[in-house]
Amino acid sequence: MAKQYEIPVGAQHISLLEPLHFKFTTENEKIVGTTANLFYVHRGIEKACCSKFKFRQVSFVVGRVCGLCSISHATAYSQVAEKLIKIEIPRRAKYLRMLVIELDRIHSHLLCLSHVAENSGFEALFMRTMQYREPFMELLEAVCGNRIQYDFSIVGGVARDLKSAVSRMILERLKRFKPQLDELVDIYQNNWSLSLKNKGAGAITKEDAMRLNVVGPFARAAGLEIDVRNETEDLLPWKETGFKIVTETAGDAYARNLLRLREINVSMHIIENIINGLPESALITETKAFPDGEAVARLEAPRGELFYYAKGNKTQILERLKIKAPTFSNIPAMVEGFRENEYGSVPAIIASYDPCLSCTAR
Amino acid sequence: MRRIETSIESVKTDIGHFYRADQHHFSVMNAVDLGEKIEVQWFFCDYAQPYETIAFCAQITPDVEIPSIRDIVSSAWVAEAELVDLADIKIEGTPKGFVLETDSEIGPLRKKK
Repeated sequence: MAKQYEIPVGAQHISLLEPLHFKFTTENEKIVGTTANLFYVHRGIEKACCSKFKFRQVSFVVGRVCGLCSISHATAYSQVAEKLIKIEIPRRAKYLRMLVIELDRIHSHLLCLSHVAENSGFEALFMRTMQYREPFMELLEAVCGNRIQYDFSIVGGVARDLKSAVSRMILERLKRFKPQLDELVDIYQNNWSLSLKNKGAGAITKEDAMRLNVVGPFARAAGLEIDVRNETEDLLPWKETGFKIVTETAGDAYARNLLRLREINVSMHIIENIINGLPESALITETKAFPDGEAVARLEAPRGELFYYAKGNKTQILERLKIKAPTFSNIPAMVEGFRENEYGSVPAIIASYDPCLSCTAR
Repeated sequence: MRRIETSIESVKTDIGHFYRADQHHFSVMNAVDLGEKIEVQWFFCDYAQPYETIAFCAQITPDVEIPSIRDIVSSAWVAEAELVDLADIKIEGTPKGFVLETDSEIGPLRKKK
């Protein structure tokens, strides 16, 4: 048996964007074991939401759980709160929520792709991908008023309407982005040395994805058809917008790259359909009801299934709020996905997992 | 959300009979402090229609050790480790210290007496 070495990576490391710590056991260059510590930033947000804030304020608090998928948290919470106070939100508000969720998904996927490129040693592709992401940050600012932490979804509806000038701006930028997306697909798919680094890296099978209850692009890249947009027609009418689930089969970093690029294409299609068919209605349903009973809401965030459980007690303060972020579900598969890989592939694999520890530790 | 009421003695058997890895997705575990008792919940969703969210719910007293479901749902160790730290409940074979440091406030999600 080759001599084994333990190599710590993180909590602060040049290839990590988030405070996570892995300890790899290696034989020569091959990883034979991994342990993980992912909870350096626990902020007690669930506790705060059930003690310090009134239920209508909580959508603003959970919007701070994560900078990247702020809209997903605020929307999932708003949905669960709306179930507790038993209201239906206006149709236009539903479509505007979906619009911002998809814009957010595009910028989040591009950020992930750029980091995979960077961690694979492709600085130029990192810069190019970030350059193409920037217009989407500007669009989010134009729609919501903020580049991140949008405060757009609120209990009962949305906080802002979509101006016609902003609608035109979105369509124009999507048109400009289409050839840029084709260019990215060509590079991520066909660049020989990038493929060499990403093919087979951090691979999991569909059976492993099922066994380990993996969610989001991580699961879909392994061929597992799981996407909350496919399931929750009662809350947001995804299928009316042309949503189609995307899967790959290889389950490695390369397949995750391609899957995210294909999902960006689907998101663009959804956004165009929403803008072209945006219904007229109020933006918010007013009510003075207090939350009562218990409910769950699930939403497909850029990294996968976001799960909210809330319990009300007919007062302004919730009895319990539970948040389960997508990365939380993916921890077991993240740990197993390193096995039998070369230690040199670790940075690219971590980036391809697209972990969000801010959400996970909350 | 469909609740399935169970007890601490039968929860593992009930989940064992219900769970099929190719049909059900394990989402998360949760604990709600009811005062004298704690309700522990195990959430599952379907991979195919009807896409229902199913919650197995068991009420326990804080001193009781809950059976682990890791031998049925291998990824459940993360959810179990989180509840041990945040809700200060005992789960078979799950030490404290995965989510919170061992010198942190004990069970921050429990209500103050």
